[in-house]
Amino acid sequence: MTSTSSSDTAGTDPVNQPLAVAVRGLGKSFGSRAALRDLDVEVRRGEALGLLGPNGAGKTTAIRILSTSTAADAGHVRVLGLDPSRDAAALRARIGVVPQEIALYDELTARENLEFFGRMQGVPPTRLDERVTWALTAAGLADRASDAVKTFSGGMQRRLNIVVALLHEPELVFLDEPTVGIDPQSRNHVHELVSTLRAKGTTLVYTTHQLGEVERLCDRIVILDHGRAIASGSLADLQSRVPARGGRRLALGSADRAEEARALLAAHGIEARLERDLPGLEEVFLALTGHELRDGGAS
Amino acid sequence: MRHALTVAAKDLRIFVRDRTGMMLTFALPLVLVTIFGAAMGAMGGSKSLGKVRLLVEDLDASAKSSALVDALRRADGLNVEVTSDVRARVADGKAPAALRIPSGWGAGLEAGRASGLVLYRDPAQSIEQQIVAGNMMPALMSVAGKEIGRAMMRKSLKAFGIEGEAADEMEKTLSATLAEADAADATASGEPSGATSGDQDADPLRGMPRTLGLEVDDVTGPDHASETTAGQSHAVAGIAVMMLLFSLSACGGTILEEEAQGTLQRLRLTPTAGRSVLIGKALFTMVVGMASLVLLFAFGALVFHVPVATAPLALVVLSFAVAAAATSLGLVLAVTCRTRKQLEGTSTLVILAMSALGGSWFPLALTPAWYQKLGHFTLNAWAMDGYQGILWYGRDLRGVLPEIGVLLAIAAGLMLLALRGWRRRFEVTT
Repeated sequence: MTSTSSSDTAGTDPVNQPLAVAVRGLGKSFGSRAALRDLDVEVRRGEALGLLGPNGAGKTTAIRILSTSTAADAGHVRVLGLDPSRDAAALRARIGVVPQEIALYDELTARENLEFFGRMQGVPPTRLDERVTWALTAAGLADRASDAVKTFSGGMQRRLNIVVALLHEPELVFLDEPTVGIDPQSRNHVHELVSTLRAKGTTLVYTTHQLGEVERLCDRIVILDHGRAIASGSLADLQSRVPARGGRRLALGSADRAEEARALLAAHGIEARLERDLPGLEEVFLALTGHELRDGGAS
Repeated sequence: MRHALTVAAKDLRIFVRDRTGMMLTFALPLVLVTIFGAAMGAMGGSKSLGKVRLLVEDLDASAKSSALVDALRRADGLNVEVTSDVRARVADGKAPAALRIPSGWGAGLEAGRASGLVLYRDPAQSIEQQIVAGNMMPALMSVAGKEIGRAMMRKSLKAFGIEGEAADEMEKTLSATLAEADAADATASGEPSGATSGDQDADPLRGMPRTLGLEVDDVTGPDHASETTAGQSHAVAGIAVMMLLFSLSACGGTILEEEAQGTLQRLRLTPTAGRSVLIGKALFTMVVGMASLVLLFAFGALVFHVPVATAPLALVVLSFAVAAAATSLGLVLAVTCRTRKQLEGTSTLVILAMSALGGSWFPLALTPAWYQKLGHFTLNAWAMDGYQGILWYGRDLRGVLPEIGVLLAIAAGLMLLALRGWRRRFEVTT
């Protein structure tokens, strides 16, 4: 089964952009277990693609292949016009990878981690200080720059884990479940950071189990299962493929005359029921606790 | 009780699945017992094991001197090599002792003069000297006992003012007594003396040299050095090399730590990483290794007066070679082992075995020839040879070039293995 997006309708600008990622017939097995089978995926430059799927669907394997970490067994792969298996070094200079696990040096400070990875990623020495300062600010860690990472909370480490991958201003960023295990404030901060990247035109490939994140952050979605893409498109596209439930929602501009509207419908023989538009739990939580980052305590 | 049994069964199950723990618990003691058993058996003088090398320079080439050489060859505790320039060879640490038989020694004995034998000794190898003494004296007495006794008697009588016929008469009586003693010896089934180091005085030859016609010449060691500093030089160098191996294998293990915490994967995805990660680890490990050696030798110099200043350049270059070889070994172990725990178990086994085999714990000179040959398959043996050469025998850089060359070759070979392992495991995308 294949699923491509050349005619996707989501997003405005990315549609006409050249491809950042082009994958055809991608296959990868580990022993007798097939992790990816005949996968087709395309991502346009500037697009934010959400890669969804249950555990073991092949999301991480796909990202590992696209980011030069793992070689494919079969298929055609081009990332920013380069073959990840042949042009790994050149490609690595242009992509950023946010790994699923926290990959930082606990004993070093936030600044030391950033300086080290910045140098390794080839950030010019003349720009290193500027980029590190940007990263600390973007992660909301400017006031903790000189503290060892081991004293950070899980949310702080996650945020630092993300900006480390952005130091060299990559054109394409792979984010593999970047918000696992963090508090809503940190998650919200990460969402804002990702939104900023989108606004700057950075191409994003984002995997998560948090479906709300994809809805909020991504232009297009590919759903993987058993190593195949079983669906792709915008959220609206995907919603249209699932049979609608019997009811419909009618949105009123104001709740002031809701009862009057219901009575009017009833007068015409249309049964309607009034429901309050309740916020989700995360929205309630953030409303009660605020959006400010809570970095006071160590993890 | 049932719950206690359940807990015990659970712990046993975990223990059996922990291969590293199993190896440290069962394999390591067996390996060490085997190595120590072989080495200590040799030191104890077992006939099947080690002999101390004794160089003999026979300038006399008489029937008497040949008989002495043959008697020495028959001694259980000696490995006799007839050669020339023996003093220089002992001074250079090539052998613990050498006997020089001067020209005319045999004729001198016949004429009643027991003198001229010279025993050159390396005081750094004090245990070997006891083995030499325990084996050489019976050989000497079996070949020239009568003559020596006669010469001693003549000298004694002369000291008491007895000369002429009276002296001849007394000499005849003593000769008869000696002949009876010989006959008694012949009927007895006494074993020839073996390597009896444990029963000897600390320096059995010191008390009776000239009366036997034997001079003892301690030929090695810096002027200010003593036997104590020789032992301490060995101890400092031996422990330095062994602990260097442990600390550098731990440094190499940071590769596995980084793999476990994900930073290695992150580094792999940087454009500039590749082998520079491995080379960076090697540089870091080298720095730690050199610092560790500097600290240990400085401590040895201050506390034990180990003569580190005799050839500082040689010491630095040799230490660099030792650190390079140890670093490469640490990296090979790191890229071969899958986990930090596995590395700890494997490196403990390898390093302790290498240290015992390579002379870090006791001088290889005490061990059998096969043990010494086997020991020189370890970098410890070459490092110890080099350090002893500098610290005790006073060699300069040129004098330890062979050891440095071998150590650098070991370093290069192991580094190639480490690079191959690194590439296979961390560079090639699979």
